[in-house]
Amino acid sequence: MQIQILPGALALFIAVGGLAAGAQPQSAALNTFEEGSVSREEGLASWQVFYEVASHPRCANCHVGDDNLPMWSGASFGAPRRHGMNIDAGVSRIGAETLPCSTCHIAVKTFDPAINATPHMPPKTALAWQLAPVEMEWFGKSSAEICAQVQEPARTGGRDVRAVAEHLAEDVAHGGFIQWAWAPGGGREPAPHSLQEAMDALMKWQAAGTPCP
Amino acid sequence: MKRITVNGKVHTVDADPAMPLLWVLRDELGITGTKYGCGIAQCGACTVHVDGVAVRSCQLPLGAVEGEVTTIEGLGTPEAPHPVQAAWIEHQVAQCGYCQSGQIMQAASLLDTHPDPSDDEIDRAMSGNLCRCGTYVRIRAAVRAAAGKLQEASS
Repeated sequence: MQIQILPGALALFIAVGGLAAGAQPQSAALNTFEEGSVSREEGLASWQVFYEVASHPRCANCHVGDDNLPMWSGASFGAPRRHGMNIDAGVSRIGAETLPCSTCHIAVKTFDPAINATPHMPPKTALAWQLAPVEMEWFGKSSAEICAQVQEPARTGGRDVRAVAEHLAEDVAHGGFIQWAWAPGGGREPAPHSLQEAMDALMKWQAAGTPCP
Repeated sequence: MKRITVNGKVHTVDADPAMPLLWVLRDELGITGTKYGCGIAQCGACTVHVDGVAVRSCQLPLGAVEGEVTTIEGLGTPEAPHPVQAAWIEHQVAQCGYCQSGQIMQAASLLDTHPDPSDDEIDRAMSGNLCRCGTYVRIRAAVRAAAGKLQEASS
């Protein structure tokens, strides 16, 4: 991993190394915007960009509530339904109680989109597969509900908005789920926009005072 | 070259790191108790343990194997079967038998971490292992019986 702070620009570049030939590494810069420099209208538009990412099946299917049941939904699934095979990730959110997510969603050493090319094969990343923490429930939630959640550090793992944006880039450096969301393979629809656009949207939304719809 | 430990024995394998572990076991090492079902982790026939945890070997690249591999051959022997294998024989679970090594490995992994599962928990753990003969009722009964055997052995 390379981290480079460019002089003169408030930008932190993170690039991921070690990918196989042909893979498209995601890299993203943390661009900051001066507080008050973004209008409420623009802030709401930025939130909408992030909401479109958060509510997309590549993200929301594993950001589920306290029933701990991952979902299958999206362009190739018809109506949303519970993950097949009677999967229950349990309170552990990693399936430790009965069937670990990692029995099928194996953690590989380095994230490489090529490993997820086969349709219907469980997607794999370089992190142990798991559900997001229950307080970060997104599946089926409205834009206003997700907006209220991301505003509240008690429901973001203690992160303010900047830290949430940094967290997105950090996950990519670990070859985790966020990078996978934009390179899911196997005919799955990627998350909309891009990692860079999602991070910029968060930072603009913050500069606008985190307005919610 | 990759060194892997299978059923307590160290092997040096000269194969593409992308080769699935199942191919390594069956075609490179000649350990054929583990079966090929679907090749995409949808049926569970290829289940083995890596450090005691069930994994679908058909889509685990050799290069990603970290830990000791146990296959059905390493779980128990005809003379000293694992309690899950003994319960399988008692309940005459197998019909055609093709999926059974995967079923047994999944059940053994469940009982290792969860010694007294409820029927619901057994169903949750075992639902990723398909049986085209439909022996599910006997599978559940045998898992319950194996749980009892393991508890007796530890008390």
